[in-house]
Amino acid sequence: MKTNHLSPWEQEEYVLEQRTPEMLRHLTECAGCRAAVARLEHGVAIFRSAAVEWSSECLAARPQQFNPSAGRRLPVLALRWAVAAVLPVLLLVFALVSFHPSSTRPVRAVSEISDDALLEQVDQQISAAVPSSMESLTHLVTTEDRNGQVGTTSVRGSKHIVQTN
Amino acid sequence: MEAVEQLIYAGELTPLRDRMIAELADVNTLCATYRSRIYRYALLSLRDPDLAETVTQDCFLRAYKARDDFRGDCSVATWLTRIATNLIRDSTRSRKFQFWKAANSTAAEVGAVADRLRSPGLSPETFLMIREELRGVWDAVENLPGKQRSVFLLRFVEEMELPEIATAMGLHVGTVKSHLHRALAAVRKAMERAR
Repeated sequence: MKTNHLSPWEQEEYVLEQRTPEMLRHLTECAGCRAAVARLEHGVAIFRSAAVEWSSECLAARPQQFNPSAGRRLPVLALRWAVAAVLPVLLLVFALVSFHPSSTRPVRAVSEISDDALLEQVDQQISAAVPSSMESLTHLVTTEDRNGQVGTTSVRGSKHIVQTN
Repeated sequence: MEAVEQLIYAGELTPLRDRMIAELADVNTLCATYRSRIYRYALLSLRDPDLAETVTQDCFLRAYKARDDFRGDCSVATWLTRIATNLIRDSTRSRKFQFWKAANSTAAEVGAVADRLRSPGLSPETFLMIREELRGVWDAVENLPGKQRSVFLLRFVEEMELPEIATAMGLHVGTVKSHLHRALAAVRKAMERAR
């Protein structure tokens, strides 16, 4: 048995304001369909009221107006981020350039000096006719007395030591 | 023949388009006129006041920058709604939005909004019933698929006509109608559950 009540789709059509004369005629006669349509409209209406209320409240807390120069905020913001990203790298490079050479140069200089001094010392040692360990012997004077005895005399300062066998 | 028609069409359209571009260039007036509308649409789509503000700002910024590209084939409001729709879609696709949507609950805000709907003439029982109905509809709308929700909001909150919604969403009118029927069916079910 076919009923003449509005189908859910027809009720939705009514709410969407796609209304036909038959629909309107039926609604004037049928309290059940009228209530069903009113319930659906009521659901939409309370949602709209709540939505508008909530939105107005949120918007009232944000009195900011649009500024076309805000379009420049993106490059500025990007520039700030770029600076923030590059700055540590620059500092690192600066630190490497400034502190690393200055900290190694004196060490190198000192080592060069000490190397030079060492080489000079070695040269002196090599070029010396007598090794330093035997240098004291060069100051010894070999003497032979009249009896044919050989003795050594160390001349060191004013003190003369004569060893006689 | 087509060329003549195009010339006539362009001749009729150009003054209107110029007026619309002038309207777009006057940013302060544009904001004063459409800000609440765009913000409300973004807020109800995203359920996030901060993100809605960002989308609103971006919407006006894009409209201002692209004002010379505006063809004048729809109203400024519809054009702005179209830009906002694209921005909202992009926002909802982001992982950050998905995370915060999962983390946040709108239950508290629904309760707060419902409390403000309290009318002095309402009995406590009636108020509680309305509150439950609102909660049901609120959740039902939130759980609608993206396009259905947008179409529902544009029709029943912004009160746009179906062809305007179709233009703003880039859909056919028949598709818009189909989305609206499904959204209303979801609202009906939610209200039946709330009773």
